Amino acid sequence: MVTERIERIRQNYVNSKPRISTERAKLWTDSYRRTEGKSACIRSAQAFYDCCAGIGVHIFEGELIVGAIGEFRKCGILTPEFSWKWVEKEMDTFSDRAQDPYIMTKDQCEFVRKEIFPYWKGKSLEEAFLARLPEETAKIGVDTGILDNDSKWRQAVGEITPDYQDVLFPKGFGGIIKEAKEKKAALSMADAEGQKKAEFYDSVILTSKGIILYARRYSEEALRLAEEETDSVRRRELLKIADICSRIPENPPETFYEAMQFLWFTQIGGILSENPLSLNPGRFDQYMNPFYEKDIVAGALTPDFAQELVDALWLKYSEWVWTISANTADYFAGYNQFQNLTVGGKRRDGSDGTNAVTFMALKATKEVKTHQPGLSVRIHQDCPEECMEAVTDLVSTGCGFPAIHNDSVGYQMLLNAGYEPDDARDWNNCGCVVPHYRKTGEWTAAVNMNFGSAVEYALNEGKSLMNGALMGLPEKPAKEFSCYEEVEEAFFRQFRNLCYHSVVLTTTAQRLHQETVPRPFLSSTMEACMENGTDLSMGGAKYNVGPVITGIGLAVAANSLAAVKKLVFDDRVCTMETLADALSADWEGYEELRARAQAAPKYGNDEAYADDIAVRIANTFYHEIHGYRDIFGKPFTTAFMGISNYIPMGRVLGATPCGRKSGEPSSEGVSPYVGSDTKTPLAAMRSAAKLNQEVHSGGTLLNLRLNQELVSTKRGRANLGALIQNFFSLGAFHVQFNTLSSKTLRQAQERPQDYRDLLVRVAGYSTQFVNLSRNLQDAIIARTEHGEF
Amino acid sequence: MIRETEGYVMQLQNFSVNDGDGVRTTVFLAGCPLDCIWCCNPEQKTCFDAAHKMTLAQVEERIAGYALFFRRCGGGVTFSGGEATAQQGFLRAMTERFYDKGYDLTLETCGFFEFDQVRDILEKMNRIFIDVKQMDAGLHEIFTGVGNARILDNLTRMQEELSVPIVVRIPLIVGVNAEAEHIETLCRFLSQNAPRAALEFLPYHRFGEDKYRELGMETPDARYRTALEEIRRQGLCVPGKGVCAAGAEELSSEANMEIPDDAVLENCRRIAADHGILVVSYR
Repeated sequence: MVTERIERIRQNYVNSKPRISTERAKLWTDSYRRTEGKSACIRSAQAFYDCCAGIGVHIFEGELIVGAIGEFRKCGILTPEFSWKWVEKEMDTFSDRAQDPYIMTKDQCEFVRKEIFPYWKGKSLEEAFLARLPEETAKIGVDTGILDNDSKWRQAVGEITPDYQDVLFPKGFGGIIKEAKEKKAALSMADAEGQKKAEFYDSVILTSKGIILYARRYSEEALRLAEEETDSVRRRELLKIADICSRIPENPPETFYEAMQFLWFTQIGGILSENPLSLNPGRFDQYMNPFYEKDIVAGALTPDFAQELVDALWLKYSEWVWTISANTADYFAGYNQFQNLTVGGKRRDGSDGTNAVTFMALKATKEVKTHQPGLSVRIHQDCPEECMEAVTDLVSTGCGFPAIHNDSVGYQMLLNAGYEPDDARDWNNCGCVVPHYRKTGEWTAAVNMNFGSAVEYALNEGKSLMNGALMGLPEKPAKEFSCYEEVEEAFFRQFRNLCYHSVVLTTTAQRLHQETVPRPFLSSTMEACMENGTDLSMGGAKYNVGPVITGIGLAVAANSLAAVKKLVFDDRVCTMETLADALSADWEGYEELRARAQAAPKYGNDEAYADDIAVRIANTFYHEIHGYRDIFGKPFTTAFMGISNYIPMGRVLGATPCGRKSGEPSSEGVSPYVGSDTKTPLAAMRSAAKLNQEVHSGGTLLNLRLNQELVSTKRGRANLGALIQNFFSLGAFHVQFNTLSSKTLRQAQERPQDYRDLLVRVAGYSTQFVNLSRNLQDAIIARTEHGEF
Repeated sequence: MIRETEGYVMQLQNFSVNDGDGVRTTVFLAGCPLDCIWCCNPEQKTCFDAAHKMTLAQVEERIAGYALFFRRCGGGVTFSGGEATAQQGFLRAMTERFYDKGYDLTLETCGFFEFDQVRDILEKMNRIFIDVKQMDAGLHEIFTGVGNARILDNLTRMQEELSVPIVVRIPLIVGVNAEAEHIETLCRFLSQNAPRAALEFLPYHRFGEDKYRELGMETPDARYRTALEEIRRQGLCVPGKGVCAAGAEELSSEANMEIPDDAVLENCRRIAADHGILVVSYR
């Protein structure tokens, strides 16, 4: 049971709509007005400092962990330096939009139109990106749903795991300042390199001073509130907060409580600096447990208070929202910030890392039911049973947490991406299902690529079925294909063209990030950046891993090619021409043919017919993408992640030969197409495990729905645990479960007010069901519910 | 229902492969209501001491690391003894815990228990091995100290009231129960009362003799003679020897408990097959 305090904060969290604060944008913009002519990293750092010095200080009712990004408890901020045009266009309807609405008042809209946006005209990352992108790439890569990377030019990169273990906790930001000063003193200002590095160190000194100042202001405010406070218990709490914030994060934390507050200040720094997605806390149980054990032994902490602090942190992670465009919200639905927090798994030395904090994290998610952090667990083959029990117990609540990952495949994925073994063994998750590591600079969600489009262009002379425009490479008419192999070749031609443009989109954005949006605050959390005097955006991290291109619609593409093979060339029930006509007509008037198409072999049933095609597509994807190099010379990486991108990517796709109608959702990750994994979850798992998952270092995702009955008993949950382990022994990386019945979900649609805290798995993450658009809710209900193992 | 979180364990044998499918962990619980003259686990009587006391948590801990070896081979946990049901509360606690963990569970029992008291435990088993040592009630009492009525009744009830697969085991001892006539009687009983049960012949062995010496107990050989002298004195039926009147000729020692040879085993199997009984072996 959570404490009364936590329950009150939780109620506010589930019942209130997020609001937009314009404070950060105003402070940032004013700062930029004052620093024109200075280098990009100094401008960014100065703006961060000014923001820390000027932003309102808000300690909300009952808070144990403090620090706000604006005046509202549930709050989003604006980052006009990245993009503002979409905000200007969309902000008047922020409150009304279907997915992830925010409250932004008329006065606020007027204020930013007048005071903020005019300054950024022609200066934002978005404008620069659109100005530079080659026309033929822009045609299929800007707000099309064919290739999508708008989160990389309308937003910051994020996708990073601050290094608490080796940098932040041992040094504190005071130590970082000291290091930066020493490094700078040793530089020669006579050469360009020295000048650049000096600017970098200056930027780090500024951001570090900024976050220390921010904390001190909270210390003062807590002291002020304590003086006014009449309740003696709360007064003591406020004095404690004042004490902690006077020392943290300048100095290394010494207690569990201090470390927790340090975590949140770091998160605040990340948010104020770039409003990131996937600012990952990383291996929380590994770096928090030493503090926990020390305090418990010393009698300075009780397990109950430690749990309350974890609960409080979970709410802080959930109260801020990532402000995104309607388009991006379609891809990342549910106010999701993708702060991935990983527990369990092996330690650097190979021993099991499960500890008391592991269980506290699982318990917090179970009881507080927050959509953040994105709780991931690493499971190795010798995972302690009590850990697996806690995991399957959480799964059985239906919240979709935790995301369950295979320890050894994560390790293998990192080895394949060039990591040293000890570092690879120390992996954490990033965002949804990306195996990651704290000393890494990587774009883990660089581009979403619509596999279904390659099918469409292959069968429709390179043109979109939706608008008739030539979006792919010109292709001969479908009726001229004389054998299946020709169809597959045509598909791969279109497919490779999409890969090429995905790379163009990414490298164009990468170059611009270097020029315009350096990341001094987050760079200061990386020891290699500090060592080399090089910003993250310039490749300063120990590991620079190639950007991840995410394939969307693997199942739709494989099923479609399988249906063409089966209907046209094996069974000869129709000609290519008839099939192409049926697709153009969105199956209208071709109902019988559609029924045959739906009955054709489908990926996800452990049958070679369609699975083999899926494997060929996945392998080609890897080889093709891996052949490209990013601006640091690193090979691009592949992934089959989820997010909610299969909805918008399906929306732009005409009817597909698998029997899918025009505009219907595509498929996510390595999951089967909804409703087509008609056998058992075991068959779906076997199909997914065929895909050589370990080469897709950007992560792979399998989504399954289980009937709640299956996991309602301890024995049922133990069987689920064994099922997961056996799936992992086949070489799969990730699986996640929805265990809510369709009935419950439909009730939640009818009476959303009664189901405000109902969490569901979307794809790679969980969020409140009632915060999803009707469209996405329906898509989740449509997934096959498996009633037996 | 009685649940006890600690009990007396003679031995906890990981990597046990003859007590059910796959790689198993066998928990040998101390104590037995029977007193078989050929008993190969005589230590069951002496294990009620601090050295053999284990808590449920300790048993779990000993098994935990081996659980991953169960998965691929259909292995699990076997409860044996002594007689596992003799520590009913502890057995129940372990059974429930391991059932919840999804382990495959097997019980080895002498069949001498109050059925209704342990029904809930039996129901959670994936397989039950039940010994039938002698079909003749009087001989059964002489060889084991108790009659066989309750055992045969429990076997019948298991078949009728549970859906758990049953394997009837007979420790095959020449001179006690290996004779064709006795096997015939057994098979007739099984066909009528437990038609779905399989049958396993366990050839008698003398591996337990060292244990007697270590425990400073009288060796089994001596006890056989005592028992047989008792039989002769009482004028009872002796297997393979017909009826011995009191004061009949001395029973020759080679007629005593003997390990069955292949021919005896083969004969037993043939008889079972004639009755349509499935003969299995976990050796």
